[in-house]
Amino acid sequence: MSESEPEHPDLAAQERSEEPDLDRGIVEAWAAKMISNPDRAYKASFYVATIFFLVTTLFPFYWLFMVAITPSNSIGDVGVLTPGGFNPEAFIDIFVGFGIPFHRYIFNSFLIATVSTVLVLFVASLAGYVFGRLRFRGKTPLLLIVLVVSFFPPAAFFIPLNRLFNQNFDVLRPLLADGSLFNTPFAIMIPVSALYLPLSIFILMTFYSQIPDGLEDAARVEGTTRLGALFRVIVPLSAPGVATAGVLTFITVYNEYFFSSLMTSGDPQKWAPMLEGILAFRGQYEVLFNLMAAASIVAVLPVAILVIVAQEKIVSGLTAGALKE
Amino acid sequence: MASVTLDHITKAYGNEIAVEDMNLEVRDSEFLTLVGPSGCGKSTTMQTIAGLTQPTEGSVYIGDRDVTNKPPKDRGIAMVFQNIALFPHMDVYDNISFGLRLRKYDQEEIEKRVDRAAEIVQLEGMMDRMPSEMSGGQRQRVAIARAIVREPDVFLMDEPLANLDAELRIHMRTQLQRLHRELDTTIIYVTHDQAQAMTMSDRIAVINNGNLQQVDPPLTCYNTPDNLFVARFIGSPAMNFFHGEGAEDGFDSEYIQMEFDPDANDVDVGQDIVLGIRPEDVYLERNRSEATRPSNTITAKVDVLEPMGDEVFSYLVLGSDVEASAEGRGEGQLLLSLDPQTPVEEGQEIEVVFDQDNVHLFDSASEQAITHRIV
Repeated sequence: MSESEPEHPDLAAQERSEEPDLDRGIVEAWAAKMISNPDRAYKASFYVATIFFLVTTLFPFYWLFMVAITPSNSIGDVGVLTPGGFNPEAFIDIFVGFGIPFHRYIFNSFLIATVSTVLVLFVASLAGYVFGRLRFRGKTPLLLIVLVVSFFPPAAFFIPLNRLFNQNFDVLRPLLADGSLFNTPFAIMIPVSALYLPLSIFILMTFYSQIPDGLEDAARVEGTTRLGALFRVIVPLSAPGVATAGVLTFITVYNEYFFSSLMTSGDPQKWAPMLEGILAFRGQYEVLFNLMAAASIVAVLPVAILVIVAQEKIVSGLTAGALKE
Repeated sequence: MASVTLDHITKAYGNEIAVEDMNLEVRDSEFLTLVGPSGCGKSTTMQTIAGLTQPTEGSVYIGDRDVTNKPPKDRGIAMVFQNIALFPHMDVYDNISFGLRLRKYDQEEIEKRVDRAAEIVQLEGMMDRMPSEMSGGQRQRVAIARAIVREPDVFLMDEPLANLDAELRIHMRTQLQRLHRELDTTIIYVTHDQAQAMTMSDRIAVINNGNLQQVDPPLTCYNTPDNLFVARFIGSPAMNFFHGEGAEDGFDSEYIQMEFDPDANDVDVGQDIVLGIRPEDVYLERNRSEATRPSNTITAKVDVLEPMGDEVFSYLVLGSDVEASAEGRGEGQLLLSLDPQTPVEEGQEIEVVFDQDNVHLFDSASEQAITHRIV
């Protein structure tokens, strides 16, 4: 290329700091501004996406709240953004009115979810340790089988399980009144724990496999067994993973309806879960929508609190500086 | 305090044999170093002693106890790891006291011991720091404190200085020697760095390809290496080697000849042998009186000079057709160390002599030493 050859006009245009003064429409001018300053475009799209997401997620809650504070006889007056009246008593009525102890339903679900989460985390920790840290024959096929379990629709297990849990076992008689698991929390915990176990195994496996071997060896030399090293060193260092698996399991079990409703008779004293409680406000002649809405909001609270607490616990980068690699 | 005995230890990973039929006795309160190139099986040997891996065959004894099937925690050992392996979620005090707390010592005893260990490694006043807030050397000292606080029978150190910078490494080297003197405990040390092995150990065990090559005090390994591998591995810069064969009048090779009586040195005429000479045992012709028993004169050309300050490494080529090989020294090249005052220049022809008292002969086929002093 010779010196005298003129430069391409685009190159010259890039050199100029200011846009040439052209008469542009408003959209064209805006587009030009975005092109010259892409950070603004990224920022704008970030806000648009975030606001869209927040509105679609939070608006149902807002509307639920509007329904909840509307008296039941003016439920038809609820607008898109405004309530049809003002009656906050609904939040008290769900516990004491109508003879429905909603707190008992919440307690049942909370207990079932807590025990299942502990059970799942314990078993998944053992499985995650083995899959994540040990080498053995048949590891991949075994892992696939675990994965396949989680693909089954819960309904496929329901009939055999229901029959099994209605069976009276003499060995269980000292523990359970009639020797059957039906109408006990175990009838819910056992199947849901098993169903949601694979997900936790996969999450924990990934986290445990990233803990350096040296730390486990150090713990074992210092005086723990393999199991001790798992719970004293590997689990604490995988706190973000354990918290993630725990929160996911808790939320799923807490919101679980299929097994929860079918493995109990729906009586709160017989361990019926939270969703049965919400549906209990649906009477034979009348559906108390405001109470159902209030109950739904109250039911969400434990999960919301849990997530906020767990979020503070999820401190990543905990292992930074542990090892010089 | 206890001795450690490896009795016919073999460790195989599938078809890969990491350690082959190793017999090793580490004496009570001895500082023994396992040294060898990367992947030679020294770390596997260490892990077998620690109980972190099970030997395929053979037994491990600590003192009189057969610990082959005992878990690491019941072997009375403590270990310092190459990657330091402090528990990142615990502060210094919790890290050091971890083993004691697991063994349910009472609070007072734990504090007393932790204080003493911290004093030995000079970590006072850092008890509530987290590992991430410490420098590499401090972390290494915490790891050592964690090991000594339990007063184990045997210390295992797996390349503990490998990740420290050069200055700190030399500092920690003297610290470890002092530690050994103070504690008077059996220490088994693994390293690929022969300088660490030479300076710290009572005895070194040279390992190659999963086989024990020689177990002797450092200077014995240096002066009378049992075989070619030990001769090549121990000493820096390494020994010069010449491949040749036994002749009527001594040693004959393409580049050098050496006159001696083959019969007196157990050399057969026609036998393939390797002649080895350390750089400091090669003298300039005009300094031949410095050698205890100078050999015949060898002519060479100076290829490269490496001034180190206190000495100059001179790479010589012994023939006009010799090409300087990129990695180290090839056949026909000779390294000697010279006094920095010596007036030599690159490209100059010089004459050198070997000190016959320090010429090593090895059998090419078996790689075993024939003699370390030709007569």
